[in-house]
Formats: sequence, C-alpha cells, structure tokens
Amino acid sequence: MTLVLVVDDDQDLAEMLGIVLNGAGIDVDLVSRGDEALEVFRNNPPDLVLLDVMLPGLDGIEVCKQIRAESMVPIVMLSAKGDTHDVVRGLEAGADDYMVKPFRHQSELVARIKTRLRKTNTDIAGLLKISDLSIDFNAHEVSRADKVIALTRLEFDLLVALAREPGRVFTRDALLSEVWGYRHSTDTRLVNVHVQRLRAKIENDPEHPEIVLTVRGVGYKAGNQSK
Amino acid sequence: MTNRLRTSLALRVLLSTILLSSAVIWLSGSILNSRVSADVKQVNLDSSINEARSTIVSARYRLILAKSGSQKDVDELIGEILSAATTVGARASGRELALLRGPMANPAEKDFTTTSNLVDPGSLPEKFREKVRSTSELHWSYITIKYAGSLQVPAIAVGDMVSIPRSGKYEMYLLFPLTNQNKTLSLISRSIILVDVALVFLIGLITWLLARQVVRPVREAARVAEKFTSGDFNQRMKVTRKDEIATLGVSFNEMAASIQQQIMRLENLSRVQQRFVSDVSHELRTPLTTLRMASEVIYSSRSSFDPQIARSAELLIGNIDRFERLLEDLLEVSRFDAEVAVLEPVDFNLISLINGCIDDLDLVAKEKGTQIIFTPYSEDLSINADIRRVERILRNLFNNAIDHAELKPINVHVEYNDNDVAVAVRDHGIGMDENSLLRIFDRFWRADPSRSRIRGGTGLGLSIALEDARLHEGELEVWARPDKGAHFVLTLPRLAGNQIQSRLIRLEPKDLKI
Repeated sequence: MTLVLVVDDDQDLAEMLGIVLNGAGIDVDLVSRGDEALEVFRNNPPDLVLLDVMLPGLDGIEVCKQIRAESMVPIVMLSAKGDTHDVVRGLEAGADDYMVKPFRHQSELVARIKTRLRKTNTDIAGLLKISDLSIDFNAHEVSRADKVIALTRLEFDLLVALAREPGRVFTRDALLSEVWGYRHSTDTRLVNVHVQRLRAKIENDPEHPEIVLTVRGVGYKAGNQSK
Repeated sequence: MTNRLRTSLALRVLLSTILLSSAVIWLSGSILNSRVSADVKQVNLDSSINEARSTIVSARYRLILAKSGSQKDVDELIGEILSAATTVGARASGRELALLRGPMANPAEKDFTTTSNLVDPGSLPEKFREKVRSTSELHWSYITIKYAGSLQVPAIAVGDMVSIPRSGKYEMYLLFPLTNQNKTLSLISRSIILVDVALVFLIGLITWLLARQVVRPVREAARVAEKFTSGDFNQRMKVTRKDEIATLGVSFNEMAASIQQQIMRLENLSRVQQRFVSDVSHELRTPLTTLRMASEVIYSSRSSFDPQIARSAELLIGNIDRFERLLEDLLEVSRFDAEVAVLEPVDFNLISLINGCIDDLDLVAKEKGTQIIFTPYSEDLSINADIRRVERILRNLFNNAIDHAELKPINVHVEYNDNDVAVAVRDHGIGMDENSLLRIFDRFWRADPSRSRIRGGTGLGLSIALEDARLHEGELEVWARPDKGAHFVLTLPRLAGNQIQSRLIRLEPKDLKI
C-alpha cells in the first residue's frame, strides 16, 4: 500500500489529511515537528512527503533540503501563504510541487498526490541519446559516460516529456499539464525552477544548455538526438 | 545670469556691494582728483609767476642800466635776456619768451619784436595783451603756444611791460608749457583710477568671502533639508558654532528628529498592520483547509443523509467557498492598501489565457442563459505582465458580465499594437445609471442590492481589478447605460513597466446606435 508522510503542526489538519488520504486508499504517517520528520522518514521510507512550510523545531524548507539530500522521493510542499517567496524557496529546496492552503478541492489534493505517485508514462522503450546524455526508458535511468545521474521522478518525467518528442517546442502550460497534471495553471514558476534544477544535474554547462533548450517567449524543447 | 542672481544669495550680495562701493569710490576718487589737480595747477602757476616776475624785473633793471649804452649794447642785452629767459631756470627746457612791441612804442626806432623758437606771436590772445598793456603789473593767463608748423602746446603766459631804451614800451611774456604738469595730472588720475579699481576688486573679494561664510551654512542647511524631504530621515545639520545659523541648525534638527519619530511610528504601525494581515492570513488558512476538507467529506456522502442534512452540507461547502474567496479578496485589498502589492511579470499568450478563463466559466454562463463569444484575430498574442493579476482581472470582468447579461450573449474583443493591448468585455444586459457608474469600482458596492449576492461575489472584484490594472500602469474603464448593457475596457502595456500610450478600444461601444 502507498505510504505518505504528512508533516504538519496543525493536529486537526493533519488528521483531516489522514482521513481524506485513507479514503483514497493511501496510508499515512503523521509528524507534527520539523525536527522529528527526518527520523520518521528514515525509519519508514514513504512514497511521498506532504510538508508544511511553517513547522516547529525545524523549518519545512530545511526538512525538504535534508530529505532531498538523501532521497529522490516526491515532495509536495503545503504553504499557508500565497507568497511567491515561500513557494520559490520550497521549489529550490527540492520540492516537486506545492499547494497553497486552503486547497481548492479535496480531489485536487488527491489528484496531485496521485500524479506524483504514478509510474512515468513511457510508451517508448529503449534508449535515447541527446548530446552525450543517455536516457534509458526501461530502467528509468539517465547516464553520462556510463555514470548514472540521480534524478527525482519529476525531473525524469520532465526530461522524458521533452525528449519523447524531440524538436517540439513545449509551452510552460503544456509542460504543466503533461508533467504536473494541472488543467489550467498559470504558475510557470514551477516549470522554470525545475528546468533550472534539471539543467544543473544533466547539463555540462547549465549556463549554455545543450539538452533542455529555452525557446525565448515560448517555452522549452529538447536538444537534437545523437546516434 | 538673472536666474543665477535670483537663486544665489551670495551673488546678489556681491553684486550690490560692488555697485554701491563703485559709486562711493568713484565719487571720492573724482573729488580727490580734482582737489589734487587744482593744487598742482596752483603751485605750478605760483612758481611760474614768481619766475616770470624775477626774469622780467631783472630784464627791466638791466634795460634801465643800458639806457646810457649804445644801440649795439642794447641789441646784445636783448639777445642775452632772450637766451637767459629760455635757458635759465628749473624748467628751462620748454620755457619760451616773447617780446612784443606795444602800440605806444616809437615806430621810428628799431623794432625789437622777437620770440624764442619761432613761437607765433598770435599765441597770445589780444585780450590778454590788452590787459598787460593797460596796467603796469604782472598778468597771467592760460594760453596755447602755437609754434611755426602746427605744433600746439598748452601753457601759462605771464607778461608785463618793459621799456627798451630809445625804442619804447614792449610787452615781455614768459611762456611756461604745461606738458609736464599735464603729465603729472594724468599720472595722478590714472593712479587714482587704478587704486579705485583695486579697491572695488578687494571689496568684492571680501564681500564674496563674507557672503560665502554666511551663505555656506545656509546652503548646507538647504541641502540637508532637501535630502530630508526626499526621504533620508537620518539627515541632520552640523552645529559647530553658536551663531544665528547654528540656532537655525538646532531648530531644524529638532524638527527633523520629531518628524523622523512620527514617521517611524507610522511605519511601525503600518508594519504591525501588515504583519497582522499576514498572520491572520496564515492563521485562517489552516483551519479553513481543514474545514474545507471536512465539508467535502461530508458533502461527498450527502446522498446517504436525509434531505435537510444533505442541503445543509451543500450550504456548508458553498459558504466555505464564499468565505475563502472573501478572505483572499480582503487580503489582496489590504496588500494594495499597504502598498506591498508587487508585479511579477512573465511572458504569456493572452489569447490562450482569455480562452482558458472563458472555458472555465462556460458552465456558469450556460446556467445563466448566456455565453461568452470571443473570436480573436490570431491565436497568439504574447504579452509580458503579471499573469495571476491579468487572469484575475479577466475573471472579474467575465463574472461581472455573466451576472448582468440577462440572457444576452457577451462579446469579448481584443485589440493590440506594438506597445499596448486592450481587452473589451461587452454585455447587453441591464446596464447602469450614471450614479452607479461612478461607484462601480467602490469596495462592497452593489448596483442593485435586491439582486445582489446571487452568485456569491465578494463585492471586491471590480475594485481589485482596477487596482490590478493600475499596478500594471494600465487602465480599466467602464461605459454603461440603463438597459443598454455595460462595456468594460482594459488597456495594458504589452511590456510590464511601460506606460500605456493609446486607447485602442473606444469606451463607447460600436454596436450602439442612438
């Protein structure tokens, strides 16, 4: 059964999240302090972490950084403030997605979590090479010169979404619906931050990317395939 | 220059001091000049008269002695007198002598009329000669010596009568050229002018220094006050002395400190207010989330409740929605009021944003018996703006139009040029009278209280839309007539940070035929 670690200091909300997720067939571990989150995470590795930004003990951003340092597990931040500042800090700390309280619909929360938990949709099998980077769809691995590069599932999804249709220019909106599962989202920061994180991992020189290329004023596309 | 005069106190003081002191110095200089030259002339005249007297007296005496001598002796004597008069004496250099025959002389005898250095006897005016002839005393006059040729020299002429034996009475004149005296006089007046100019210059310099001494602290005070005014509340005047300027400085600093204190108090209040709003936001959001999820869980199983509880679940969830929207709008309004709302511009396609909003509201529009019609020229219109705010403006305008459409379709129209983009939302519903039009952007204002709140709008939508448009340096305007519908026109710069330069869509709708 799928396990989600919920880190939130509000007991009522945590319990409510537990009820909703249980209802969707998801097991839940509840932690109310930031400094306890990592221990629970290590003892019982979850499939996904729901993490509040404001936490007693240790800031949610810090918790996110520490988890990301040792795991590629999907992390979704919960923020009570609509402030961009918090959101961007969370994404830069390694969060895959974020949700601003109050969530629009119960289904939004569950849908978002399920999107993050689903297996990467790879209808092509085999190997793809862009520049000197190899993408192995079967093994869900990305490597350069036989060295495997650790990507989060979201980063892998983002790369695959672009690489599957080389040459096609994806708008940020298109990527948001393809990778994050948003219908009408206007928050392109998600895409921008993750493209930067992805580039930092896979590009030889992130300042002059060769694999994920920016198309000014439109969006992104994958670099040319090599044989 | 006149501008600098008006703006610079030091320059004005300097200029008036120079003007006044020039006048005083010029006056005293000319008095001095005339006094000195009068004295010089007098001294010169006195010495000339004395010299002439002694020369004439001695000539007269020698001529009396020569009475007994021969004609030849007399001739020689005249020659001697002539040469002595022109060569002897302190100022012999230019001295001339004229011996002219008077009318009473014996015409039968030899004429001794002579002048030294070919001086024209006509140099001596007839009037002056008359005077010399009429009395037997020394007379003087200023004359001009005319030499043969055209040389003329101003001079003092002193004359008296002498009698030459056997020849009769002659007028003897000694002519003292004034060349030297005039040189001296012009030297004196030149010196006076020089001293005057130097004095004016020095006075100017001193005035400038003094004025600067006074003006510098005043200027410094003005500079400090200016910086203070422009927002640097830490500016203070330096007070080192105990004069009037220092008193000004002390008063200024006291005022500045008090203003700074007030401003800090207000800033602090505003910070407290913002913190409070932000905290309220955070504190309300978390329980609201729990509420929302709980109500959704209840709502999702309402089919198993009896009808009253099921309806209650519907009302609960609907009103949590409203509460949430109201909270969001209130927070947004308070951000505008605290002036902390910031633009976060990104590049996006306005047409797809409009289409997205229309799609989302499609169902609501259908429920109200209307539809939003939008046929753009092209599918691609890239603009740089705060997409969240632009979307909010559009949703507010569309929602407003749907609420007032009265079963008639709503038209959306987009125009753009290189700099600006305009979106017009036209409904053909109930419209508004002029009073309502004036208040449409007011907070919590509803055109018709009896028909309000049907769809649970917060009453803040249009006022937030207007603030959003203004934050983009854009404009949101409205036209409406009772029963003729309303026409909202949003104009934005295509690049965030620019100003709008034109109104691409006329506020009065084209479809209107009056």
